Amino acid sequence: MDLKPFEENNSVSCRLTSQIPDVCKTEDCCLGIDEAGRGPVLGPMVYGICFCPVSKKEDLKDLKVADSKTLTEAERENLFEKLDEAISYIGWALHILSPNTISTSMLQRTKYNLNALSHDTAISLVQYALDSGVQLKEVYVDTVGPAEKYEDKLSQRFPGIQVTVRPKADSLFPVVSAASICAKVARDRVVKGWNFPEDLGEVDVNYGSGYPNDPKTKAWLLKYLDPVFGYPQFVRFSWSTAQSLLDTKAVAVHWDDDEEDGEKAAQRQNNRSMLSYFTASAGSSDHNPSHQTHRFFSERRLKSLDTL
Amino acid sequence: MSSNATVTRLCASSVDHTQRAPVHLMPCEIQSNGSAQVSQFFTATTKDHKSEKTVSFRGRGLKGQELSCPQGYTGLVLKEVHKPSSDQEDRTVRVSSVFDKLTYWNLETPPNSDDTVVMAMDWPELAEGVRVLAFILLH
Repeated sequence: MDLKPFEENNSVSCRLTSQIPDVCKTEDCCLGIDEAGRGPVLGPMVYGICFCPVSKKEDLKDLKVADSKTLTEAERENLFEKLDEAISYIGWALHILSPNTISTSMLQRTKYNLNALSHDTAISLVQYALDSGVQLKEVYVDTVGPAEKYEDKLSQRFPGIQVTVRPKADSLFPVVSAASICAKVARDRVVKGWNFPEDLGEVDVNYGSGYPNDPKTKAWLLKYLDPVFGYPQFVRFSWSTAQSLLDTKAVAVHWDDDEEDGEKAAQRQNNRSMLSYFTASAGSSDHNPSHQTHRFFSERRLKSLDTL
Repeated sequence: MSSNATVTRLCASSVDHTQRAPVHLMPCEIQSNGSAQVSQFFTATTKDHKSEKTVSFRGRGLKGQELSCPQGYTGLVLKEVHKPSSDQEDRTVRVSSVFDKLTYWNLETPPNSDDTVVMAMDWPELAEGVRVLAFILLH
């Protein structure tokens, strides 16, 4: 697994893929989907797919893949090596959703929530397999949300493919276990070797599990809080843990799409007058309430300025 | 309201030797006055694609571009040396840095010629035109 394409720019998301085994282009295949790092406030969320011919399901079982959460990190690394070596019949692909992608999507003007983002990512990976010529017949998906609705959505999106969505699918179907191992290994490696694009000098990598309730993670979040910028992009700003720390420990930032009472917002708007420095002359009739500023000026937020 | 009796003095004599500083016009209000680690957090993570720049601030995606000051104009960043204790006292601001271009940022929207600050830069040239026209009309 070469993480370089992601590490070169970890602000954006990235897809990493294995070679497509030739046999997957000719034989009916099954494919598993799972994710790693949904909950943590730190680092990326990784979506993984793993696929192999339906006829090879037993071989996959023999590799003794299991739900990645029940394995130690070393076991996962070991199993990933085995999966990666079985290139003659097993293929995989990963989509790394950078923490910055997660933050900016969830905090977008028109909110793009984590569920929608997850579904779209899963769909894009299945589509990638199809586009690469994998003869998909069965797709198995692990989910935390309502399985039925998601199953219908995927079945409709991929007619002719039998889609099975189940909670805990990573312990029920070996091909999903395999996908979960690929995703978890990638997530762990990325978090461990996170290359901070910010100029922070030597960064303390003792950030714990990244889960909001981990005291080490909490301590790290406090240590790296900047009053103006908040956090490095490694942190998911959209997580309530990060938000509430910023609300109490950082300076307030207001956006024009903030949901706050109109009066307060309007009051602040009046204070914003940086552009007024370009105005024609000081001491104009701005104080006269009957005077109407021409549209030319209001459209450019130009104001007469007679005091600082 | 500040009274008209107050004089605000701008020490502009030092403009020529004031250092140039990068200036960012943000699409949000940051309730802070003072220095910030702009180069460490902001500049270091800014990406350039052709003339469009992208970055994020507080988890929100920004798109921006560089904008030059109108020809013949220099941007000034002013700082009040000390706030007067009463509104009778004169005020003095000094030039803390100067700029001939700035980077302005939109929240998620790609920069375009309709952006307020881009259009605002039309005014100096137009003002010049108006002045010339007024001059012609007077004669």
